[in-house]
Amino acid sequence: MQTENQVNDLYPIAVLIDELKHDEITYRLNALERLSTIALALGPERTRDELIPFLDESIDDEDEVLSALADQLGNFVDYVGGPEYAHVLLSPLENLAATEETVVRDKAVDSLNKVCICLSQEQLEQYFVPLVQRLSTAEWFTSRASSAGLYCAAYSQSENPAVKVSLRQSFSHLCHDEAPMVRRPAATNCAKFVFLVTKQEAIDEFIPLFNSLSNDDQDSVRLLSFDIMVSLAEVLKSDSEIRHYLLQPLRSFVSDSSWRTRYMVAANFVKLAKVVGPSLIKDELIKPFVLLMKDTEQEVRRAIATQIPGFCELLDKRIVLEEIIPVIQELINDPAQHVRAALGMNIGALAPQLGKEKTTEYLLPMFLELLKDENPEVRLNIISKLEVVNKVVGIELLSQSLLPAIVTLAEDKQWRVRLAIIDYIPLLAQQLGVEFFNEKMGNLCMSWLEDHVYSIREAAIKNLRKLTEIFGLEWATETIIPKFLAMRSHPNYLYRMTTIFAISEIAPALNAEVIEKQILPTLEQLVNDPIPNIRFNVAKAFEVLKPVLAAGGDSTVYEQQIIPLLEQLTKDNDPDVQYFATQALEQTND
Amino acid sequence: MKGIKSKMLSRGKSQDTQKSSKKKESKKSNSHDSSKAPKESPSTDPNGSVIGAQNDFLTVPKHSGKKVPIDTTPTPRDEILLENVRTVRKQRSSLYHISENRNLVRLPSFTDVPVNKWHSLALEKLEQCCVVFDFNDPSTDLYGKEVKREALQDLIDLISVRKEAIDESLYPSIVHMFAVNVFRPLPPPSNPPGEIMDLEEDEPALEVAWPHLHLVYDFFLRFFESPSLNTSVAKVYINQKFIRKLLVLFDSEDPRERDFLKTTLHRIYGKFLSLRAFIRRSINNLFLQFVYENEQFNGIAELLEILGSIINGFALPLKEEHKIFLSRVLIPLHKAKSLPLYYPQIAYGIVQFVEKDSSVTEEVVLGLLRYWPKVNSSKEVLFLNEIEDIIEVMEPSEFLKIQVPLFHKLATSISSQNFQVAERALYFFNNDYFVHLVEENVDIILPIIYPALFEISKSHWNRVIHSMVCNVLKLFMDINPSLFDEVDAEYSESRRKKEDEEIIREERWTILENIAKENAMKLKSQNPTTVHSTTERLKKLSLDYTNG
Repeated sequence: MQTENQVNDLYPIAVLIDELKHDEITYRLNALERLSTIALALGPERTRDELIPFLDESIDDEDEVLSALADQLGNFVDYVGGPEYAHVLLSPLENLAATEETVVRDKAVDSLNKVCICLSQEQLEQYFVPLVQRLSTAEWFTSRASSAGLYCAAYSQSENPAVKVSLRQSFSHLCHDEAPMVRRPAATNCAKFVFLVTKQEAIDEFIPLFNSLSNDDQDSVRLLSFDIMVSLAEVLKSDSEIRHYLLQPLRSFVSDSSWRTRYMVAANFVKLAKVVGPSLIKDELIKPFVLLMKDTEQEVRRAIATQIPGFCELLDKRIVLEEIIPVIQELINDPAQHVRAALGMNIGALAPQLGKEKTTEYLLPMFLELLKDENPEVRLNIISKLEVVNKVVGIELLSQSLLPAIVTLAEDKQWRVRLAIIDYIPLLAQQLGVEFFNEKMGNLCMSWLEDHVYSIREAAIKNLRKLTEIFGLEWATETIIPKFLAMRSHPNYLYRMTTIFAISEIAPALNAEVIEKQILPTLEQLVNDPIPNIRFNVAKAFEVLKPVLAAGGDSTVYEQQIIPLLEQLTKDNDPDVQYFATQALEQTND
Repeated sequence: MKGIKSKMLSRGKSQDTQKSSKKKESKKSNSHDSSKAPKESPSTDPNGSVIGAQNDFLTVPKHSGKKVPIDTTPTPRDEILLENVRTVRKQRSSLYHISENRNLVRLPSFTDVPVNKWHSLALEKLEQCCVVFDFNDPSTDLYGKEVKREALQDLIDLISVRKEAIDESLYPSIVHMFAVNVFRPLPPPSNPPGEIMDLEEDEPALEVAWPHLHLVYDFFLRFFESPSLNTSVAKVYINQKFIRKLLVLFDSEDPRERDFLKTTLHRIYGKFLSLRAFIRRSINNLFLQFVYENEQFNGIAELLEILGSIINGFALPLKEEHKIFLSRVLIPLHKAKSLPLYYPQIAYGIVQFVEKDSSVTEEVVLGLLRYWPKVNSSKEVLFLNEIEDIIEVMEPSEFLKIQVPLFHKLATSISSQNFQVAERALYFFNNDYFVHLVEENVDIILPIIYPALFEISKSHWNRVIHSMVCNVLKLFMDINPSLFDEVDAEYSESRRKKEDEEIIREERWTILENIAKENAMKLKSQNPTTVHSTTERLKKLSLDYTNG
C-alpha cells in the first residue's frame, strides 16, 4: 500500500521531466499537450506546489514548445484548484509574456486574459495588476508590448476606482512609448480600451492619446489608430462631439502621406460610417469617400471600391446618383486592372438600391464596359454578379443589353470566363425562349462540347441537361442529341468520351423510344472502340440507362440489346472494362 | 387558338429585331477588334468557324449523321505568358507630388559666368531642381526634364571641381532639394504579402524617375564627402527627422536606390557623431519590426552592410548596448525566411563580433542552434556555412562550451535526407582546424555523432553522402580506434534498448492517465458542485467582460 502510494507520487513529475528532456521536439510537445493529465494525476495541491513552480523555473525551450505551454496554462484554472488559486498561474505566464517571439507572447497574453476573468478583486489587486505594471515598465520592449494586451481585462475586472486611474495612466505611457514596437500594440488595444471607460474619461484622456497616435511619425502606428477613431465615434455618439473631436483627424487620415494609412481608412470606411450616423454621413463623409475613390494609389482605390455597396446603402438614392455614380464611371476606366476587378465584384450590389430604371440607365452601361475589359479577372467578376442585377431589371432587359458582350465572353480565351458564362446559360435560355435561343446561343452551346479544357466540356454537358429540362425532350432530339452523338466518330478519344458522358448526363430526361432509336446505335458502335476507357464508360452508361428504360415499362430493349453488349464487354481483354461491365450486369440482376 | 398564334408571330418579330441587332453588333465588333489589336486577326478564323457551325446547326435535318465542324485551335497560351512577363517587368513609380509649374528656363553653366556669380547661380539651379517631373509618361515635359538633368549635372560638376563653392548658406537649399526629390511615399510591394523576392526569378521593380533621382543622390553624396563640409552647421538640417525619413526609403524595391541610401547613411553616421546612437536605435527598430511583425523590408542587407562596418569599429571591451544588439537583434534576424537575401551581410557581422570578443561565441552558437530551420533546406545550408565561418575564428576554449549541442545538431544535419544539407554538414570534416578541434575532444564528440554516422552509412539514398560518411567514420577510427570500438558497442546495446524504452514510455503514460482518471472521479464525488459553480462563474464573468 505504501509502496503503491510512493510510486503514484513520483510518477507524474518524473514522466514530465523525462519527456521534456527528449531530443525530439515532438515528444516535448506531446508532454505539454498532456499537461492536464499530469495535473490530474498530481491533484490540485501538488499541481500548485510542484508542477507550476517546476514549469516556471525549468522551461527553456524552442518557441514552438513555449507556445504550446502558454496555450495550456490558459485552461489550467480548474487543475490548480479553481479560481481561488488561479493566481499561481500568473508567474510562468508572465515569463512567457516577456519572451522574444511574438507567437509565444500572444499566446501568453491570451492565457493571462483568460485567467484574469477568474480572479477575485483581492487576487486582481495583489497579483494581476502588479504583473501588468511590471511588464509595462520592463526594460526590453517585448514585455511592454505584451502588457498592452492585458489592460482591457484588468480594467474591466477591477471595481476599484484608484486601480482604474492607475491603469489608465500606465496605458497612457505605453501609447507614448519610445519604441514603435510598443506603440503599435498600444494603438491596437486602445481601440478596445475606449469602450471600457466613461465618456468623460474618453474625452479627457483617450482623445489626447488618439491624437498622439494618429500623428505618430511611423505610418504603421498611424494606420492602427484609425480603429481608435471608430471606437471613439461610437462612445461619443453625439454629432456635435464627433464633429468637434474627430473630423479634423479624419481629414488628416484621408490626406495622409502614407498610402498604407489611407488604405486603412478606405478598407474600413463603412465601419466608420455606420457608427457616426446619417447626419454626419451626409455632411462630412461623402467628400472623403470621393477623395479616396480618386486616390493616387491603386491599392487605396481598390480598397474603397469594396466599400461602395455598403456606403451607398447609407446614402439617399439621389446622393448616390449625383455624387458617387460619376466617380464610379471614372473608375470603370481605371488604369489598374485590380481596381476595375474590385469594381466588377462590387457595383452589382448597387442595383437593388437604385431600382430598375436607374440600374438600366447607369449600371448596365458600366457592366457592358467591364464585360469588354481586357483583363479576364474583371470580366469574370462582372459575370459572377449578374444574378444580383438580374433580380432588379429582369433577364429580358439584361440580356438585351448585355447579350452581345456575353456571347463574346462565351468565346473568351480564358477558360474560367467561358465557364462562368456556361453556368449562366440555363437562366438566359429560359428567358430567351427556344427559337431565339437556337438562333443566338445554340451553336455556341454545342461548340463547348469540343472545347479543349475538360472543365468546359463537363460544364457544357451539364448545361445541355438543364436546357433539355427547360426546352423539353422534343427540342433536344432535334437539336443537341444528334450533335453530340455525331461526336462518336471524332478522331480524338477525349471527344468520343464526351459523347458517352453526355448520354449519361442527359439519360434521366430521355424516353425509351429515343434511347432505342438514337442512343443505342451510338453506344453499340462505341462498344468496339479501341480505347479501353471508352469501352468501360459505355458499360457505365448502360447502367445509367437501365432505370430510364424500366420506367418506360418495357424491358425488352434492355434484355435483348443491352445485356448481350454487356456480356461481350465482360469478356473484354482489359480488366477495367471487365470490372465495370460486370458491375453493370450485377445491377441488372439486382 | 388565335391568341396563341398571335403570340408566336409577336415573338417572331422580336427575333428578327435581335437578329438584325446581332448582325450589326458582330460587324462592328469585328471592325473594332481588327483596328485595336491587329494581332488578334487570326482569331477571326474561330469566329468564322463558329458562324459556319451556326449555319450548319440551323439547317441540319433531323436524324442527320453529319459531322460537326471541329475547331481544334488551342488557346493562345503564349500570349498569356507574355502578358505575365510584361506585368513582372513593369517599372514601378513612386507617388510623387508632381510640381505644378514645370516650365524651366535653361540657365548658363558655371563655366560661363564669373566666379562671384556662382553662388547665386547655384541657388537658382537648386531651385530648378526642386521641380518634380512625372516619369510615368515619358513623353511629357521633355524640355523641362532635360533642363533639370543638366542643372543637376552642373551642380555635381561644381561640387567635384570647386568644393569651396558650396558654402554654408547653401546648406538649407541643398537639403531641401534632396528632400523634395527623394522623400516620397514608396509604392506597394510588387510581391504579395508574405512572399519574398526570389533572387533568380524576380526582377526588381525599378524606379522610373531614376534619371533624375540618381543625380540627386550623387550630388548629395558628394556634398557629404566634401572635406570642407561644416558638420556644426549642417546638423541643424541633418537631424533625427531627416534620418527617420531616410530610413523609410530603404524599403525601396530598386536596388540602385538602396545602394545610394546605404552610402549616404554611412557617410552621415561617419560625420555626425551626435546622430550615431539614434541611427543605431532606429535601425534596430526596423530590424525588430521585420523579425517579429511583418517579415517584409527590402533594405535589410544594406542596413546590415552599414552595421558591418560599424561593428568593425566597436571599441573593446564591448559596450552593453552592443552586446544587447547582438543577442536581441542580430541573432534573431536569422529567423526570417528571407535570410538568403541578406545572409552574407549578417554572417559577416556575426563573425566580426566573435573575432572581437570571443566571450560572445557561446551565445552566438546557441542562438543559431535555437533558430535552426526545420524544413527550409536551403536556409539550413546557410546556417551550416555560418557555423563553419564562426568555427574558423573560434577560440579552442570557446569550442569546449558549445561542442555538445553543436554536435547534436551536426548529427541531425548529417542525417538529413536532403542531399545538400547532409553534404554540407559532412564538409566540416574537410576543415583542418575543425578536425583538429574534434581530435582534441573526440571522447565527448564521438558518442554524440556516432549514431548518425552509423545509420547513414547503412541507409542513405545518395551514394555521395554514403561515401563521405564512410570517410568520416574512417577518420574517427584513425583518431582513436579503441574509443571507436567502445562507442560502437555501446550504440549496438542502446539500439536494442530503444524499442523497450518506447514501450516503457507508452506504459508510463497509460499508468499516468489511469491515475488522472481516478483522481478526477474522486474530485467529482468529493465536490459535486465545484465544477458547476466554476463554470457558472466563468460564464457570468465572461458576460460581464463582453458587456464592458
